[in-house]
Amino acid sequence: RMMVACVSLHHHMTGDGAKTFIILLSKLLRGLQEILDKREGSPFCEAIQRRGRYQKHHCLKQISQSLMTFQTHILDQITAEDLRKHFFSAFSSLEGEISRHTMESILEAYFCGRIGNSHQKLLSQLSCDFYYRCVHFKNGRNEMLNLVNDYFVELHFAVPGLPVSNSRILEGLVLHRDFGVYCPADGDIRMLIVTESIHSDLSASDLEFVVNAEVQYQASQVWFTKRTETIMKHLQSNNIKVLLSSVKQQEIVIYYAKISGISVVECLSSEEISLLCKTTGISPFVPTRDNVRCEITETMVAKFCRPIVLGSKRYVHLGLTRTCAFQPHCVIFCGPVHGVTEQHASAFQGAFKMLQQLFKAVDLSDKCAAQPENPNNTSEAVYCSLQYSSQQKLKMENNSCNGEKINNQQLKTFPAETEKHQTYLQKSSNLVMPIVKLKNDFMFSALIDRGHTLRELQKFKYPSEMGIKNKSEPVVNNHRICNDAMTAIENTSTSVVSKHLNTTKDYWNPGNPIIPFKYEKSYNHTIQSYTSSVIQAGSVLPVGGNFEMLLHYYLHSYAKKCLQPKITVVSTVIADALLSIPKILHRTTKKNSFTQVYFKATSALQINNQLHMNQQGLESVYCKYQLVASVLHCVTKLLTIDLIIAIRRLPQKTEDNDSEGDL
Amino acid sequence: MSRIEAKKPSLCTDKPLTKDVVSFSLSVLSGIVKSCYGPTGRLKQLHNGMGGYVRITSQSSALLGGLSVTHPVLNLLTASVKNHISRFSDCGLFTAILCCSLVENFQRINFESSTVTKISRHLLSSCIDYLKSEACGCRLSVDFDSIKTLLSLVRSILASKPACMLNKTEASYISTLILKAFLLTIPHSVETNVVLGKCVIVPVKDKRVMESAVYPGLLIEIPVFQLASIFPVKRVSSSTIKMALFCISLSGDLSNIGDGPVIVHHGISLEVAVLDQLLNLGKQLVNDQVGLVVCQKVIHPSLKQYLKEHRVITIDRVGLSMVEPLSQMTGSQPIAALHSLSPTCYGSLKDLRTENFVSKHFWHLIPNDILVCSLILCNRNEMAWDELKHVCQTAEHVLQLTIKQPLALLGGGCTETHLASYIKHKSSTLSTGILKAIDCSQTQYQLVADAFCRSLECVACCLEHDDGEILTDMVYGHFWSVQSGFPSDCNWSDLVLKCGCGIYNNQRNLNWTVLQRQCIPFIPQSCSNRPSVNATDHLVLDCFTAKCSGLQVAVETANLILDLSYIVEDQN
Repeated sequence: RMMVACVSLHHHMTGDGAKTFIILLSKLLRGLQEILDKREGSPFCEAIQRRGRYQKHHCLKQISQSLMTFQTHILDQITAEDLRKHFFSAFSSLEGEISRHTMESILEAYFCGRIGNSHQKLLSQLSCDFYYRCVHFKNGRNEMLNLVNDYFVELHFAVPGLPVSNSRILEGLVLHRDFGVYCPADGDIRMLIVTESIHSDLSASDLEFVVNAEVQYQASQVWFTKRTETIMKHLQSNNIKVLLSSVKQQEIVIYYAKISGISVVECLSSEEISLLCKTTGISPFVPTRDNVRCEITETMVAKFCRPIVLGSKRYVHLGLTRTCAFQPHCVIFCGPVHGVTEQHASAFQGAFKMLQQLFKAVDLSDKCAAQPENPNNTSEAVYCSLQYSSQQKLKMENNSCNGEKINNQQLKTFPAETEKHQTYLQKSSNLVMPIVKLKNDFMFSALIDRGHTLRELQKFKYPSEMGIKNKSEPVVNNHRICNDAMTAIENTSTSVVSKHLNTTKDYWNPGNPIIPFKYEKSYNHTIQSYTSSVIQAGSVLPVGGNFEMLLHYYLHSYAKKCLQPKITVVSTVIADALLSIPKILHRTTKKNSFTQVYFKATSALQINNQLHMNQQGLESVYCKYQLVASVLHCVTKLLTIDLIIAIRRLPQKTEDNDSEGDL
Repeated sequence: MSRIEAKKPSLCTDKPLTKDVVSFSLSVLSGIVKSCYGPTGRLKQLHNGMGGYVRITSQSSALLGGLSVTHPVLNLLTASVKNHISRFSDCGLFTAILCCSLVENFQRINFESSTVTKISRHLLSSCIDYLKSEACGCRLSVDFDSIKTLLSLVRSILASKPACMLNKTEASYISTLILKAFLLTIPHSVETNVVLGKCVIVPVKDKRVMESAVYPGLLIEIPVFQLASIFPVKRVSSSTIKMALFCISLSGDLSNIGDGPVIVHHGISLEVAVLDQLLNLGKQLVNDQVGLVVCQKVIHPSLKQYLKEHRVITIDRVGLSMVEPLSQMTGSQPIAALHSLSPTCYGSLKDLRTENFVSKHFWHLIPNDILVCSLILCNRNEMAWDELKHVCQTAEHVLQLTIKQPLALLGGGCTETHLASYIKHKSSTLSTGILKAIDCSQTQYQLVADAFCRSLECVACCLEHDDGEILTDMVYGHFWSVQSGFPSDCNWSDLVLKCGCGIYNNQRNLNWTVLQRQCIPFIPQSCSNRPSVNATDHLVLDCFTAKCSGLQVAVETANLILDLSYIVEDQN
């Protein structure tokens, strides 16, 4: 279940690569299993001399740590140094325009893996059209893509029962409702959004109405009716032709709307309202005593507003004039059955998510900025103060925790950990970064409610791991306790773990000094030489496992050079796992069997040539990069679990546990 | 809190089409739909073992709606046919049969599904291109100057539904009625946005079919107890009756006082207050010379009495479905206020009469501009009436579709055989460039095309249920059937009379062969160059839009089914 959750999270983010994710994951796990089975001679198990049960677990732990290190540093480094020269840019010119041809080949490659081959061409054409019709100028590209992804439900329409070839793009928006009242109008149509009922009743839930006389009752009824009439007349005099309402309006409103020649659309979903507001930049109108007299400014103008029949139902078709980067259009998917339209719709949305990723860049510049030029250059004084403050905070934290929950089993680990932590702090005295980070950590955790023991524990975990890495020998005892605590946490509440593991990366990133100095230097060097980014926005590679083969090649060569045995093993495993994807891709076609393709590629790389790319489609490098990173994440997560406890009840919220503990 | 049960693992089926269960249930389904097809199709009785409603039908919509299909593959098939029916009402059986036989035939040639998909897509697109091109030899353009083509269209639809239990005269009588009713709903002045009116079907069961009738305007039933108090209506002028249409309740209830508390002092009756308002409303109506008040909901008896005293006719409880046609034909706005009515919201009627029909009495509202009509539909029993009503709705829908796209296809199996011979000819003269684009060999293409044609011809063959022989000619590629029991030594030309659609009579030089027998491909000739086409009386025609879409849906669904390699079922 956790794996599935990981996959879907990844898929949700990039809209691509779910299958590759699983293949890669299984290969990786298998590769790691092999290492464990061999055990002897493996660098992970050399230093450990402990009883059997913990040994294996410790191995896994070490592996996961090396994987993390690998992901954050070596992967970036390799992408930046080696792979980069193979990337093509999707942009045809410097201004960031993307040519239609490139776009088509990207989309075609994408749909290739998503839907049956009979409709690939159609859908890629459709999405390509949609892209070019919606985006009006290049600067609005990201804004448009975000909008499309956020409001895709409102922007597409499924009509089952028609042939797929009837799918098309409509100009303007289709609201998923019919008119309450339809009064045809020509020319520019002014529209108004309301989110409340226009007609108010005698009494409301928080207002009571006292009837003193029959006449009074009648008079107030008349007054309310008159008021509604006045509002509608006011709208009419403001030349408003369409009223879009998020709530159901009363019959009397409909009646007056019809008399005043105003079309009414009721019961719009809040998403539709917010989409309308976003595309037009207006806010809903609230009829009050004050603005009933004055002019209404919050209106939008449509070129047309007419009923449209899709399938057997009638809907509202709005032709909005553009006010933001998004030129309103919507897609209509037809198919013989609902499942087909749904599949096409989700593939379509995935394509736009993928495009969103395509225009992103992996930026290391942030990390560079966060990093001080060189730890050694920093003055001793600054360091001392930092250390001092962080230790103080640490103590404070411990005191508060200990005082509160002495009986808590988990907390027993605290003193041990802190001790270790402190020694670590002293040991790594020449490294400023972790301390800076630690300080941040503690500031952060101080802000959090003290009751959140689990959170704090998690926070402690990472620095302690750093400490272990930094020392040449792991501190066995502490580590064990730490692990026990961690597994306890993980088993009781996976949700918390997953939450925190997401933040793992953040904590690890600044932990650069962990890498032996040699590497750090080279790493810094890398960063300096490529100050802008590792992967530029819009980088693409031809499909067919080229990314994987390149990465495989460079990882292998890196592993040969690498001095750290752990990293070497890990890189080899990952490299081999990566190769499984082109293996599967080239499984069927006899002309391009895998061995041939692979041989060609490697030999080309050995003589430092560009790869000969014969495939048509292109794929986004960012997506691939993200994929590898996600898979590594997932593996790391999996490896840190040593026991699965099945429970009857749903895992309780940590807050509940804590409040009980406090009492 | 609901009990949490352990989740069952999903059921995963590999290569579902190779399983016996699937091919068996597929053949059962295709057997059912095939035997229903056409004028001589066999009827199916749908009932459940617990008793209750029995339905005898041969219509795809009723049939597929009644069948409970459990297997996902069949579910896919029936769902897509049902969706097709909900869009077009017609050609459901055609779609279902074609889809079934495509799946069966494609499975038999046993190619990789991607190849079949590619080729059949190409075949489909060449079919559709052909049907949509001017050169198409199996379509007619509908001539709106004479009703002949439209009438043929309606008659073909009626004829293909034997469960209506109509004889020939009845069928042609009903088709005329349907067409008449449809023509009444077309507005006189054509603007840019044509809004068709509505045909309201009034059920009268247990009566002879020949007593059905069409009335312009609306018929609203009068309850028996009101019959005594009928009086002549008050008119503004000789041909104008002012009417008011209410869409809110006039029963004096306190519905719209909001959801908060209302405190009423002792001695004050809100009911009286509301009734007072109602009577004021009545006064205004009388002052405005309204002759007829129609209310969607209930009218308070006091108001009714008051209006009656002032010779205003009231009709209440007409229901929501009547409001739209009423406001459409009278031009009245549905009123939702109890006071200060605007004079613009009144509508007008030309006349108001009472009609007696068998034992029922109706108000007959006759509008000035006839957009709405009522079709009194009679049939002998409930089951047959249901079927007939369905057919009328289908026919109306088909007529609407035909107005949008004024084309009709030849029916009676002729379109299918013609199309099959066109495809045969086309696939035999295929250029290598196309083959390269599809990435397949000539033999592969030929095999898939043959399977495709066989499926099309199979649909035509389903029209014959009495062991007759089915022939096709080598000139027009039409469908000819020969009754069974002919002597083996006689000539085909002595036996055949007319082709399936009725466009050609027996001619000497037509060169018949048995359908589905291998023959030399030929270019089927077009029928539209015959001047007398539209003059021929009894043509069998099909709706162009529905059939084209049915063809596409069938091929797409068949491809979809063939493409299935796994079925994952969630068993929770």
